[in-house]
Amino acid sequence: MAAVIGYAGMTHLGLNSAVAAAARGFDVVCFDPDAARIAALDASELPVVEPQLPELFATHRQRLTFSAEAASMARCDVAYVAPDVPTNNDSRSDLSGLSALIKAVDSALSPDAVMVVLSQVPPGFTRSLQRPPATRFYQVETLIFGQAMDRAMNPERFIVGCADPAKPLPPVFAKFLAAFGCPVLPMRYESAELCKISINAFLVASVTTTNTLAELCERTGADWSEIVPALRLDKRIGPHAYLKPGLGIAGGNLERDLATLVRMGAAAGTDTRLIGAFQANSRYRKDWALRTLHHEVLTTQPDAKIAVLGLAYKQDTHSIKNSAAIDLIRALGPYHLRLFDPVVPITATPHPNVVGAADALDACAGADALVIMTPWSEFARLDPAAVAHQLAGKVVIDPFAVIDATSARAAGLRHLTLGRREQD
Amino acid sequence: MLEHQWPHGNKPTRVVILGARGFLAAGLNRCLSAAGVQVKALGAVDLDLSQPGAGQSLGKQLSAEDSLVVMSAITPDKGRDVGAFMANMEMGRSVCEALTAKPVAHVIYISSDAVYPFIANPVNEETPTTPTDLYGTMHMAREVMISTAIGKVPYAILRPTMVLGATDSHNSYGPNRFRRQAALEGKITLGGEGEETRDHILVDDALALVELILRHRSSGLLNLATGHSISFFNLARMVASHFAPAAEVITTEHKFPVTHRKFDATAVHKAFPGFHFTALDEAVARTHAQAGALDKISGP
Repeated sequence: MAAVIGYAGMTHLGLNSAVAAAARGFDVVCFDPDAARIAALDASELPVVEPQLPELFATHRQRLTFSAEAASMARCDVAYVAPDVPTNNDSRSDLSGLSALIKAVDSALSPDAVMVVLSQVPPGFTRSLQRPPATRFYQVETLIFGQAMDRAMNPERFIVGCADPAKPLPPVFAKFLAAFGCPVLPMRYESAELCKISINAFLVASVTTTNTLAELCERTGADWSEIVPALRLDKRIGPHAYLKPGLGIAGGNLERDLATLVRMGAAAGTDTRLIGAFQANSRYRKDWALRTLHHEVLTTQPDAKIAVLGLAYKQDTHSIKNSAAIDLIRALGPYHLRLFDPVVPITATPHPNVVGAADALDACAGADALVIMTPWSEFARLDPAAVAHQLAGKVVIDPFAVIDATSARAAGLRHLTLGRREQD
Repeated sequence: MLEHQWPHGNKPTRVVILGARGFLAAGLNRCLSAAGVQVKALGAVDLDLSQPGAGQSLGKQLSAEDSLVVMSAITPDKGRDVGAFMANMEMGRSVCEALTAKPVAHVIYISSDAVYPFIANPVNEETPTTPTDLYGTMHMAREVMISTAIGKVPYAILRPTMVLGATDSHNSYGPNRFRRQAALEGKITLGGEGEETRDHILVDDALALVELILRHRSSGLLNLATGHSISFFNLARMVASHFAPAAEVITTEHKFPVTHRKFDATAVHKAFPGFHFTALDEAVARTHAQAGALDKISGP
């Protein structure tokens, strides 16, 4: 008989992970103390936007049981505690909700059941818990907003924090992990907890290096998009490296890990100035669109009307945590803005003078400049000629090169993007 | 980054300017007076802040509703030695004594970009201060001294880059000296080949920002810089082009290492989204025209 798997905390991480477990053939108990959230999920109303999630949820709905009672976890053989951990403006995690949930689940589980902390925690957290080490584990989550289902269904590896990595994992836990067909890497609790942060630090290093070199391209006449294929063929860099220029880091999780590293370094006496440089570069790069807008448009057109496409911090998510678009809009106080995002409502914007548009093209109507702040795929389908027809001005600030630059220029638009100087 | 205590702007009750005879201070006095703001301008002849008892005397002239703009300093063209440094520190002490005895409503300290090292680019308000000379060290110390003295009074520190204006009295290496050289000698002599890049702000823009900060009772830190740098060579050619015939630009042998300074002016855009810098070519043209008019007034 297949093990019953439990997930406590039905936010982004817990929900996607639970649906992936159901899709792998397990019966899954989904617990969250928020009765309204559970009622909505029981009615198949999903609180997050993720590709594939609605389809997989519907297909495997019969294996998913929802409950607002911790006691529902009693029948689980393996129980993950997986709420999203909120961060404050200083990128510090608030672990109080996670701790309360761990306590509730720990009390409800049978003594033989395995409890796994899946939420991201600082090194030392899992070892400090009360549950006996033989049934207490930490597992690294590698959720990526916009790719959460694919990542949950097809993980690259499982990184498992244990009290003693030399001992085999409990059979029921090992069997569940084996169902995903990927390598399992047991290690000490602290190693696993720091491993998650290490992954993100390397990711940020790539992002920061990319953004720094992309800016040099913008100022020297080089074209970053021509350099990238050469880097991807280098075995030391690789085909999946983060080499796409962006507007710094956002979303909250990477920022939290950098802040954690700085704090750890301060306490341990380790030089983390490199991490500080990552943070500063991110803040600088986030304002690229604002600087470009001032330089190219607002200096000469103080009454300009601006169209902004995209509010989410990246495509395929509803999250606006640390979104560059929201920062931009906040800094455009005196100007008239026309906004459109396929998912995020304009009520999320901190601006007194915005008009919500019906669609992307409608947002462009009469605007003196267009700024595309989130690379939603539907924006890539915009016809530059139609955009040019709608706009009153000619400037398109398109950091992610959502619109084809050649077509944009052919339509008479000025196309400004990351990693490349504007071409004639 | 600045925070505005008056987000929608207000007229300050009275502005007290220290160092009133300086290039920037005199301009600020003119701007504010023209806008109907009550101004009390104190220069060294009125009150020498480096002398004993100056703090007490200044305190007696301040009132609780005042906005105080501290612009008094012995600038590098007047002295770079320890004596100048100590005199500047004495001025800082006097200001602190006055503010401790008679707190005001708002303080603006005009510092300098000399607090930043040349190895940091782009410079923004997060850039650590590491001055390399006594002038920069003095400003950094005075920033902190005043902050300590005033407690919770709204306090803005402004760090201007090189200021461009017809009435500039410092004549330091840059556009103001280039213009004078071109007018007098028909040529501009560069140090080396002039490949160093710097940011230059028009005096009108710097003053407009100070006025905005007064009107918003802003606190925090702001660099007064445009975000656009130009090499001294290109700047010299820009200045030279306003003379007929165009002044000759002469390069010389390098004596010092080449350094660059580039600012990130995002904080200005965020603090005052409706403010726009004057483009450098226009700033140079305007300065040239104003200098010409001044020459006519003062006569040969």
